[in-house]
Amino acid sequence: MKSSNRELVDRLAAEYVLGTLRGRARRRFERWLVSPQVRVMVNDWEQRLSGLEPSLQKVTPPARVWQGIEGRLELGRSRRSAVRWLAIAATVLLAILGLFTLRPVDLVATQQANIEADAQTIYWRVKLLGDNQELSVQVLARHPLESGKSHELWILPAQGNPVSLGLLPTSGTQHLVLTAEQRAALAGAKQLAVSVEPAGGSPTGLPTGEVIHVAPLSPA
Amino acid sequence: MDRNDPLPPEIELAQLLQHCAARDSAAFRLLYDRTSPILFARLLRMLRRRSVAEEVLQEVYVRIWERAAQYEVNRGRALAWMVTIARYCAIDLMRRERLTLVGDDALAEVADESTAEPGAFEKPNHFDDCIGRLSQNTQQCLTLAFVEGHSHDEIARLTSNPLGSVKSWIRRGLMSLKDCLSKERQTA
Repeated sequence: MKSSNRELVDRLAAEYVLGTLRGRARRRFERWLVSPQVRVMVNDWEQRLSGLEPSLQKVTPPARVWQGIEGRLELGRSRRSAVRWLAIAATVLLAILGLFTLRPVDLVATQQANIEADAQTIYWRVKLLGDNQELSVQVLARHPLESGKSHELWILPAQGNPVSLGLLPTSGTQHLVLTAEQRAALAGAKQLAVSVEPAGGSPTGLPTGEVIHVAPLSPA
Repeated sequence: MDRNDPLPPEIELAQLLQHCAARDSAAFRLLYDRTSPILFARLLRMLRRRSVAEEVLQEVYVRIWERAAQYEVNRGRALAWMVTIARYCAIDLMRRERLTLVGDDALAEVADESTAEPGAFEKPNHFDDCIGRLSQNTQQCLTLAFVEGHSHDEIARLTSNPLGSVKSWIRRGLMSLKDCLSKERQTA
Protein backbone atom coordinates (compact mmCIF):
# COMPACT_ATOMS: atom_id res chain seq x y z
CA MET A 1 0.00 0.00 0.00
CA LYS A 2 1.35 3.44 -0.95
CA SER A 3 1.86 5.80 1.98
CA SER A 4 -0.72 8.31 0.66
CA ASN A 5 -3.24 5.46 0.34
CA ARG A 6 -2.27 4.22 3.74
CA GLU A 7 -3.12 7.58 5.30
CA LEU A 8 -6.47 7.70 3.55
CA VAL A 9 -7.34 4.15 4.58
CA ASP A 10 -6.27 4.89 8.14
CA ARG A 11 -8.57 7.93 8.23
CA LEU A 12 -11.43 5.82 6.93
CA ALA A 13 -10.61 3.09 9.45
CA ALA A 14 -10.77 5.68 12.25
CA GLU A 15 -14.22 6.90 11.17
CA TYR A 16 -15.39 3.34 10.57
CA VAL A 17 -14.57 2.46 14.18
CA LEU A 18 -15.90 5.77 15.51
CA GLY A 19 -19.14 5.08 13.65
CA THR A 20 -19.26 8.23 11.53
CA LEU A 21 -18.47 6.37 8.31
CA ARG A 22 -21.99 5.63 7.15
CA GLY A 23 -24.07 4.48 4.25
CA ARG A 24 -22.43 3.25 1.10
CA ALA A 25 -18.99 4.39 2.24
CA ARG A 26 -19.25 2.09 5.28
CA ARG A 27 -20.33 -0.82 3.14
CA ARG A 28 -17.49 -0.20 0.71
CA PHE A 29 -14.98 0.01 3.53
CA GLU A 30 -16.21 -3.29 4.97
CA ARG A 31 -15.17 -4.94 1.74
CA TRP A 32 -11.63 -3.75 2.32
CA LEU A 33 -11.53 -5.67 5.58
CA VAL A 34 -10.37 -8.68 3.57
CA SER A 35 -6.99 -7.02 3.58
CA PRO A 36 -4.95 -7.97 6.65
CA GLN A 37 -3.31 -4.51 6.54
CA VAL A 38 -6.68 -2.80 6.75
CA ARG A 39 -7.75 -5.11 9.54
CA VAL A 40 -4.67 -4.19 11.55
CA MET A 41 -5.57 -0.50 11.17
CA VAL A 42 -9.13 -1.18 12.29
CA ASN A 43 -7.94 -3.20 15.28
CA ASP A 44 -5.59 -0.40 16.30
CA TRP A 45 -8.41 2.12 16.16
CA GLU A 46 -10.71 -0.17 18.11
CA GLN A 47 -8.07 -0.29 20.79
CA ARG A 48 -7.44 3.49 20.79
CA LEU A 49 -11.10 4.47 20.86
CA SER A 50 -12.01 1.91 23.52
CA GLY A 51 -11.00 4.67 25.93
CA LEU A 52 -14.28 6.39 25.02
CA GLU A 53 -16.37 3.46 26.32
CA PRO A 54 -18.75 4.88 28.92
CA SER A 55 -19.42 3.33 32.32
CA LEU A 56 -23.06 2.39 32.24
CA GLN A 57 -25.55 0.92 34.66
CA LYS A 58 -26.22 -2.66 33.64
CA VAL A 59 -29.67 -3.39 32.27
CA THR A 60 -30.88 -6.98 32.29
CA PRO A 61 -32.66 -7.80 29.03
CA PRO A 62 -36.03 -9.60 29.15
CA ALA A 63 -36.07 -13.40 28.84
CA ARG A 64 -37.56 -13.24 25.36
CA VAL A 65 -34.22 -12.04 23.98
CA TRP A 66 -32.47 -15.27 24.98
CA GLN A 67 -35.42 -17.31 23.70
CA GLY A 68 -35.06 -15.55 20.37
CA ILE A 69 -31.33 -16.29 20.21
CA GLU A 70 -31.90 -19.92 21.16
CA GLY A 71 -34.53 -20.22 18.47
CA ARG A 72 -32.39 -18.62 15.79
CA LEU A 73 -29.36 -20.77 16.54
CA GLU A 74 -31.38 -23.91 17.26
CA LEU A 75 -29.41 -24.47 20.45
CA GLY A 76 -30.15 -27.44 22.65
CA ARG A 77 -32.91 -28.63 20.41
CA SER A 78 -32.73 -30.85 17.43
CA ARG A 79 -35.61 -30.26 15.12
CA ARG A 80 -36.24 -33.64 13.69
CA SER A 81 -38.58 -32.51 11.03
CA ALA A 82 -39.18 -34.51 7.90
CA VAL A 83 -37.34 -31.87 5.91
CA ARG A 84 -34.27 -32.28 8.05
CA TRP A 85 -34.21 -36.04 7.68
CA LEU A 86 -34.70 -35.68 3.98
CA ALA A 87 -31.73 -33.32 3.86
CA ILE A 88 -29.58 -35.81 5.78
CA ALA A 89 -30.68 -38.66 3.50
CA ALA A 90 -29.85 -36.57 0.44
CA THR A 91 -26.40 -35.75 1.81
CA VAL A 92 -25.67 -39.42 2.50
CA LEU A 93 -26.85 -40.36 -0.98
CA LEU A 94 -24.66 -37.69 -2.55
CA ALA A 95 -21.69 -38.86 -0.48
CA ILE A 96 -22.20 -42.44 -1.69
CA LEU A 97 -22.55 -41.29 -5.29
CA GLY A 98 -19.46 -39.15 -4.76
CA LEU A 99 -17.43 -42.25 -3.90
CA PHE A 100 -18.13 -43.65 -7.33
CA THR A 101 -17.75 -40.49 -9.35
CA LEU A 102 -14.55 -39.08 -7.85
CA ARG A 103 -11.94 -39.12 -10.51
CA PRO A 104 -8.35 -39.93 -9.60
CA VAL A 105 -6.21 -36.89 -8.96
CA ASP A 106 -3.04 -37.01 -10.95
CA LEU A 107 -1.75 -33.52 -10.25
CA VAL A 108 0.47 -33.02 -7.22
CA ALA A 109 -0.47 -30.54 -4.51
CA THR A 110 1.98 -27.64 -4.56
CA GLN A 111 0.44 -25.21 -2.08
CA GLN A 112 -2.16 -25.50 0.61
CA ALA A 113 -4.11 -23.41 3.08
CA ASN A 114 -6.00 -24.52 6.15
CA ILE A 115 -9.09 -22.52 6.92
CA GLU A 116 -9.37 -23.03 10.61
CA ALA A 117 -10.61 -21.76 13.93
CA ASP A 118 -7.45 -23.05 15.57
CA ALA A 119 -5.00 -25.88 15.01
CA GLN A 120 -7.56 -28.37 16.37
CA THR A 121 -10.48 -27.14 14.33
CA ILE A 122 -9.75 -27.05 10.62
CA TYR A 123 -12.87 -26.39 8.59
CA TRP A 124 -11.52 -26.67 5.07
CA ARG A 125 -8.19 -27.77 3.61
CA VAL A 126 -7.59 -26.09 0.27
CA LYS A 127 -4.92 -27.56 -2.01
CA LEU A 128 -3.59 -26.05 -5.21
CA LEU A 129 -2.59 -28.73 -7.66
CA GLY A 130 0.12 -28.66 -10.30
CA ASP A 131 0.99 -25.22 -11.56
CA ASN A 132 -2.21 -23.77 -10.04
CA GLN A 133 -4.22 -25.67 -12.65
CA GLU A 134 -6.64 -27.23 -10.21
CA LEU A 135 -7.87 -26.81 -6.73
CA SER A 136 -9.28 -29.27 -4.25
CA VAL A 137 -11.23 -28.34 -1.14
CA GLN A 138 -11.82 -30.88 1.58
CA VAL A 139 -14.31 -30.34 4.38
CA LEU A 140 -12.71 -31.45 7.66
CA ALA A 141 -15.17 -29.87 10.07
CA ARG A 142 -18.49 -28.35 9.28
CA HIS A 143 -18.50 -24.58 9.57
CA PRO A 144 -21.65 -23.06 11.12
CA LEU A 145 -23.68 -21.13 8.57
CA GLU A 146 -26.90 -19.16 8.78
CA SER A 147 -29.63 -20.42 6.47
CA GLY A 148 -29.85 -18.52 3.21
CA LYS A 149 -26.08 -17.89 3.20
CA SER A 150 -23.07 -19.42 1.49
CA HIS A 151 -19.35 -19.43 2.23
CA GLU A 152 -17.32 -18.07 -0.64
CA LEU A 153 -13.59 -18.59 -1.11
CA TRP A 154 -11.38 -15.76 -2.39
CA ILE A 155 -7.85 -15.27 -3.60
CA LEU A 156 -6.20 -12.20 -2.08
CA PRO A 157 -3.88 -11.36 -4.98
CA ALA A 158 -0.58 -9.57 -4.50
CA GLN A 159 -2.29 -6.57 -6.11
CA GLY A 160 -5.88 -5.65 -6.86
CA ASN A 161 -9.26 -6.90 -5.75
CA PRO A 162 -10.05 -10.35 -4.36
CA VAL A 163 -10.89 -12.96 -7.00
CA SER A 164 -13.53 -15.58 -6.29
CA LEU A 165 -12.71 -19.28 -6.18
CA GLY A 166 -16.37 -20.16 -5.86
CA LEU A 167 -18.54 -21.46 -3.07
CA LEU A 168 -17.12 -23.70 -0.38
CA PRO A 169 -18.66 -27.15 -0.03
CA THR A 170 -20.37 -28.16 3.22
CA SER A 171 -19.22 -31.78 3.03
CA GLY A 172 -16.83 -34.02 1.15
CA THR A 173 -14.14 -32.91 -1.26
CA GLN A 174 -14.60 -30.66 -4.26
CA HIS A 175 -12.37 -30.28 -7.29
CA LEU A 176 -12.20 -27.25 -9.47
CA VAL A 177 -10.30 -26.56 -12.68
CA LEU A 178 -9.05 -23.00 -12.38
CA THR A 179 -9.67 -20.32 -14.96
CA ALA A 180 -6.96 -18.11 -16.45
CA GLU A 181 -8.17 -15.22 -14.26
CA GLN A 182 -7.96 -17.32 -11.12
CA ARG A 183 -4.51 -18.60 -12.03
CA ALA A 184 -3.26 -15.08 -12.70
CA ALA A 185 -4.58 -13.92 -9.35
CA LEU A 186 -2.94 -16.88 -7.60
CA ALA A 187 0.48 -16.03 -8.99
CA GLY A 188 2.21 -14.29 -6.11
CA ALA A 189 -0.85 -14.48 -3.83
CA LYS A 190 -0.03 -15.38 -0.25
CA GLN A 191 -3.49 -15.66 1.27
CA LEU A 192 -6.99 -16.95 0.74
CA ALA A 193 -10.07 -15.56 2.44
CA VAL A 194 -13.60 -16.74 3.19
CA SER A 195 -16.61 -14.45 3.27
CA VAL A 196 -20.25 -15.02 4.14
CA GLU A 197 -22.41 -14.25 1.11
CA PRO A 198 -26.04 -14.61 0.13
CA ALA A 199 -26.89 -18.19 -0.93
CA GLY A 200 -25.36 -18.77 -4.35
CA GLY A 201 -22.49 -16.38 -3.82
CA SER A 202 -21.62 -12.71 -4.01
CA PRO A 203 -23.91 -10.84 -6.39
CA THR A 204 -21.18 -8.34 -7.28
CA GLY A 205 -18.15 -10.52 -7.90
CA LEU A 206 -16.44 -8.99 -4.86
CA PRO A 207 -16.92 -9.93 -1.22
CA THR A 208 -20.10 -8.24 0.02
CA GLY A 209 -20.46 -9.91 3.41
CA GLU A 210 -18.31 -10.34 6.43
CA VAL A 211 -14.87 -11.85 5.85
CA ILE A 212 -14.61 -14.52 8.49
CA HIS A 213 -11.29 -16.19 7.70
CA VAL A 214 -7.99 -15.26 6.12
CA ALA A 215 -5.59 -18.16 5.69
CA PRO A 216 -1.99 -18.13 4.49
CA LEU A 217 -0.95 -20.26 1.51
CA SER A 218 2.07 -22.42 2.24
CA PRO A 219 4.02 -25.00 0.26
CA ALA A 220 2.25 -28.37 0.45
CA MET B 1 -7.67 0.96 36.67
CA ASP B 2 -10.34 0.52 39.28
CA ARG B 3 -9.45 -2.51 41.36
CA ASN B 4 -13.07 -3.00 42.36
CA ASP B 5 -13.81 -3.71 38.76
CA PRO B 6 -17.38 -5.00 38.79
CA LEU B 7 -17.13 -6.47 35.30
CA PRO B 8 -16.83 -10.21 34.83
CA PRO B 9 -13.17 -11.17 34.87
CA GLU B 10 -11.71 -11.01 31.38
CA ILE B 11 -10.05 -14.38 31.68
CA GLU B 12 -13.31 -16.09 32.42
CA LEU B 13 -14.96 -14.40 29.45
CA ALA B 14 -12.08 -15.34 27.18
CA GLN B 15 -12.43 -18.96 28.26
CA LEU B 16 -16.17 -18.91 27.71
CA LEU B 17 -15.62 -17.56 24.20
CA GLN B 18 -13.19 -20.37 23.51
CA HIS B 19 -15.82 -22.88 24.60
CA CYS B 20 -18.34 -21.14 22.37
CA ALA B 21 -15.93 -21.57 19.47
CA ALA B 22 -16.02 -25.30 20.25
CA ARG B 23 -19.84 -25.10 20.01
CA ASP B 24 -20.49 -25.47 23.74
CA SER B 25 -23.98 -24.03 24.15
CA ALA B 26 -23.89 -24.17 27.96
CA ALA B 27 -20.84 -21.89 27.92
CA PHE B 28 -22.69 -19.62 25.53
CA ARG B 29 -25.60 -19.36 27.95
CA LEU B 30 -23.20 -18.48 30.77
CA LEU B 31 -21.50 -15.89 28.59
CA TYR B 32 -24.90 -14.41 27.78
CA ASP B 33 -25.90 -14.23 31.45
CA ARG B 34 -22.63 -12.54 32.39
CA THR B 35 -22.46 -10.01 29.59
CA SER B 36 -25.93 -9.32 28.21
CA PRO B 37 -26.78 -6.69 30.89
CA ILE B 38 -23.65 -4.78 29.84
CA LEU B 39 -24.27 -5.07 26.10
CA PHE B 40 -27.97 -4.30 26.50
CA ALA B 41 -27.16 -1.12 28.40
CA ARG B 42 -24.69 -0.16 25.67
CA LEU B 43 -27.26 -0.77 22.91
CA LEU B 44 -29.95 1.18 24.75
CA ARG B 45 -27.56 4.08 24.96
CA MET B 46 -27.18 4.09 21.17
CA LEU B 47 -30.61 2.98 20.01
CA ARG B 48 -32.80 4.43 22.77
CA ARG B 49 -35.79 2.27 22.00
CA ARG B 50 -36.10 -0.91 24.02
CA SER B 51 -37.79 -2.96 21.35
CA VAL B 52 -35.08 -2.05 18.84
CA ALA B 53 -32.28 -2.70 21.34
CA GLU B 54 -33.74 -6.12 22.15
CA GLU B 55 -33.83 -7.04 18.50
CA VAL B 56 -30.24 -5.91 17.96
CA LEU B 57 -29.10 -7.71 21.11
CA GLN B 58 -30.32 -10.97 19.58
CA GLU B 59 -28.37 -10.27 16.44
CA VAL B 60 -25.28 -9.42 18.51
CA TYR B 61 -25.28 -12.77 20.32
CA VAL B 62 -25.95 -14.68 17.12
CA ARG B 63 -22.84 -13.00 15.70
CA ILE B 64 -20.82 -13.66 18.85
CA TRP B 65 -21.70 -17.36 18.61
CA GLU B 66 -20.84 -17.47 14.94
CA ARG B 67 -17.59 -15.53 15.29
CA ALA B 68 -16.36 -16.90 18.61
CA ALA B 69 -13.65 -18.76 16.72
CA GLN B 70 -12.28 -15.46 15.46
CA TYR B 71 -11.73 -14.08 18.92
CA GLU B 72 -8.03 -14.20 19.60
CA VAL B 73 -7.54 -15.28 23.17
CA ASN B 74 -4.01 -13.95 23.44
CA ARG B 75 -5.24 -10.44 22.62
CA GLY B 76 -7.37 -10.39 25.78
CA ARG B 77 -10.08 -7.76 25.99
CA ALA B 78 -12.92 -10.22 25.53
CA LEU B 79 -15.57 -7.78 26.69
CA ALA B 80 -14.25 -5.01 24.47
CA TRP B 81 -14.43 -7.43 21.53
CA MET B 82 -18.08 -8.14 22.30
CA VAL B 83 -18.95 -4.48 22.82
CA THR B 84 -17.42 -3.66 19.45
CA ILE B 85 -19.66 -6.25 17.80
CA ALA B 86 -22.63 -4.64 19.55
CA ARG B 87 -21.67 -1.14 18.42
CA TYR B 88 -21.26 -2.22 14.79
CA CYS B 89 -24.59 -4.07 14.87
CA ALA B 90 -26.28 -0.94 16.20
CA ILE B 91 -24.65 1.23 13.53
CA ASP B 92 -25.69 -1.28 10.85
CA LEU B 93 -29.25 -1.11 12.05
CA MET B 94 -29.24 2.69 12.09
CA ARG B 95 -27.87 2.60 8.57
CA ARG B 96 -30.51 0.16 7.39
CA GLU B 97 -33.48 1.66 9.11
CA ARG B 98 -32.24 5.23 8.81
CA LEU B 99 -33.19 5.73 12.42
CA THR B 100 -33.23 9.39 13.14
CA LEU B 101 -32.86 11.20 16.41
CA VAL B 102 -35.60 10.41 18.81
CA GLY B 103 -37.05 12.76 21.37
CA ASP B 104 -36.63 12.83 25.10
CA ASP B 105 -39.70 10.68 25.63
CA ALA B 106 -37.84 7.73 24.19
CA LEU B 107 -34.89 8.56 26.40
CA ALA B 108 -37.13 8.39 29.43
CA GLU B 109 -38.15 4.91 28.40
CA VAL B 110 -34.71 3.59 29.24
CA ALA B 111 -33.76 5.87 32.09
CA ASP B 112 -34.71 3.99 35.24
CA GLU B 113 -34.03 0.39 34.37
CA SER B 114 -30.63 0.15 35.95
CA THR B 115 -30.11 -2.68 38.36
CA ALA B 116 -26.40 -2.96 38.94
CA GLU B 117 -23.24 -1.02 39.57
CA PRO B 118 -21.50 0.85 36.76
CA GLY B 119 -18.89 -1.01 34.77
CA ALA B 120 -15.42 0.15 33.85
CA PHE B 121 -13.33 -0.58 30.79
CA GLU B 122 -9.61 -0.54 30.82
CA LYS B 123 -8.46 2.50 28.86
CA PRO B 124 -5.35 2.60 26.67
CA ASN B 125 -2.38 4.09 28.52
CA HIS B 126 -2.40 7.89 28.61
CA PHE B 127 -5.87 8.00 27.05
CA ASP B 128 -7.29 10.57 29.48
CA ASP B 129 -4.25 12.75 29.08
CA CYS B 130 -4.43 12.62 25.28
CA ILE B 131 -8.18 13.15 25.00
CA GLY B 132 -7.86 16.04 27.46
CA ARG B 133 -5.57 17.85 25.04
CA LEU B 134 -8.32 18.04 22.42
CA SER B 135 -10.70 21.02 22.31
CA GLN B 136 -14.01 20.74 24.16
CA ASN B 137 -15.84 20.79 20.83
CA THR B 138 -13.79 17.93 19.50
CA GLN B 139 -14.22 15.84 22.63
CA GLN B 140 -17.95 16.38 22.52
CA CYS B 141 -18.17 15.35 18.85
CA LEU B 142 -16.12 12.19 19.40
CA THR B 143 -18.27 11.20 22.37
CA LEU B 144 -21.55 11.84 20.55
CA ALA B 145 -20.34 9.66 17.70
CA PHE B 146 -18.77 6.82 19.64
CA VAL B 147 -21.00 6.60 22.69
CA GLU B 148 -24.36 7.65 21.27
CA GLY B 149 -23.83 6.45 17.71
CA HIS B 150 -24.70 9.77 16.09
CA SER B 151 -23.79 10.60 12.48
CA HIS B 152 -21.99 13.77 11.37
CA ASP B 153 -25.33 15.38 10.45
CA GLU B 154 -26.92 14.53 13.76
CA ILE B 155 -23.95 15.87 15.71
CA ALA B 156 -24.07 19.12 13.73
CA ARG B 157 -27.76 19.51 14.55
CA LEU B 158 -27.38 18.53 18.19
CA THR B 159 -24.49 20.88 18.87
CA SER B 160 -25.72 23.67 16.53
CA ASN B 161 -22.42 23.69 14.69
CA PRO B 162 -21.83 23.76 10.93
CA LEU B 163 -21.47 20.29 9.42
CA GLY B 164 -18.09 21.20 7.94
CA SER B 165 -16.70 22.13 11.35
CA VAL B 166 -17.99 18.92 12.92
CA LYS B 167 -16.37 16.83 10.19
CA SER B 168 -13.04 18.56 10.48
CA TRP B 169 -12.99 18.51 14.30
CA ILE B 170 -13.60 14.79 14.19
CA ARG B 171 -11.04 14.13 11.50
CA ARG B 172 -8.34 16.21 13.15
CA GLY B 173 -9.27 15.03 16.63
CA LEU B 174 -8.83 11.40 15.65
CA MET B 175 -5.42 12.03 14.15
CA SER B 176 -4.25 14.11 17.14
CA LEU B 177 -5.41 11.34 19.44
CA LYS B 178 -3.47 8.77 17.45
CA ASP B 179 -0.31 10.89 17.43
CA CYS B 180 -0.54 11.62 21.12
CA LEU B 181 -1.13 7.98 22.10
CA SER B 182 1.78 6.76 20.00
CA LYS B 183 4.14 9.49 21.29
CA GLU B 184 3.20 8.77 24.88
CA ARG B 185 3.80 5.10 24.28
CA GLN B 186 7.27 5.81 22.91
CA THR B 187 8.27 8.07 25.77
CA ALA B 188 6.77 5.80 28.42
